[in-house]
Amino acid sequence: MSGRPSKPQRKRIEYPSAADEDLVRAAQGGDMVAFEELVGRHRDKIYARAFSMMRNEDEAIDLSQEAWVKGWQRLQQFQGEASFVTWMTRVVINLCLDALRKQKRLRTESIEHMDSESGGVERQMPPLIINPTEGLERQEVRQRIDQAMSQLSYAHRTVLILHEFEGLEYKEVAKRMGCSIGTIMSRLFYARRRLAALLMDLKQERPT
Amino acid sequence: MNHEAALRIQAWIDGELPSPAAREVAAWVERDPDAAALATELRHARSALREGEPEYSAPVSREFYWSAIERRIASPRTAQPQAPAAPPFAWLVRWFVPAGILAALALVLALPGLRDQFAPPVTWASEEVESPLDDISSVTFRSESEGITVVWVNAR
Repeated sequence: MSGRPSKPQRKRIEYPSAADEDLVRAAQGGDMVAFEELVGRHRDKIYARAFSMMRNEDEAIDLSQEAWVKGWQRLQQFQGEASFVTWMTRVVINLCLDALRKQKRLRTESIEHMDSESGGVERQMPPLIINPTEGLERQEVRQRIDQAMSQLSYAHRTVLILHEFEGLEYKEVAKRMGCSIGTIMSRLFYARRRLAALLMDLKQERPT
Repeated sequence: MNHEAALRIQAWIDGELPSPAAREVAAWVERDPDAAALATELRHARSALREGEPEYSAPVSREFYWSAIERRIASPRTAQPQAPAAPPFAWLVRWFVPAGILAALALVLALPGLRDQFAPPVTWASEEVESPLDDISSVTFRSESEGITVVWVNAR
């Protein structure tokens, strides 16, 4: 494995207007300015994914910056199968999952986390057939989702992020989180039910 | 409705069921109000998440954000390609490899004289000399009639 690009890129490029692919090629040739441009373009997205998982600004900044360092070191491995930003998102997700594991935030050791698989009050709750976000502006939906997500356990939040935001299939989520597909299905089920209940509470507090 | 049945409805909504099973669940949801209610709730949660993913911006300037990345990239710990960690006592092995080869050669060269003293003369001989190192071995062939010695040093 080659760690960091070494050969300087000879072709001159207009950094602000260059396509991501051109910047990546230049960065793979050792052009740090091209890499800086990529960081500038996509830092919010990479930071956002870290923040959505960690729910802590300092950790999110640190982990997203670490993801960019890893991205630079492994840039030769990027072959363009997915977009550069998708590739970088995977890097930051893996770092966040590692951090959560180290901090034992994903472990099923508390009652709250045991509920991740067995369902807490959601198990007994009748289904909510009213759409909790109906008639809301998109910005308002985002705010409510943010508020509801912040009240979920790490295990529930992570499974929703990987499945709903990243669009990963059950088996991919299971692989990333190191669980069985059955566990992921249960977590996803109760995470959705809990989220629906939280959104309904918000709807009742702040009707449209 | 039991838990497994609920998970089947969810898998159907997520498109994770094969066609025959998906048709079966669709028919069940059609005729069972409880199954239909659960499917509705799960769909609402799913669509709310897909439409309303929150957006966050890094709470620091672009320059500040980049400067920390640049520093980490430039630090000797991260700037170099990640080489596999050296095994313990690597320095010892580095010195013992040439020393082992030299010792084996010296032994080979001394063999004819020793053999002359303690053994009857032979017209040819093949000797194997084991290196004291696990990862180095040598094999020696000596032909008295032709007066040559060949040593193979094998570094695994």
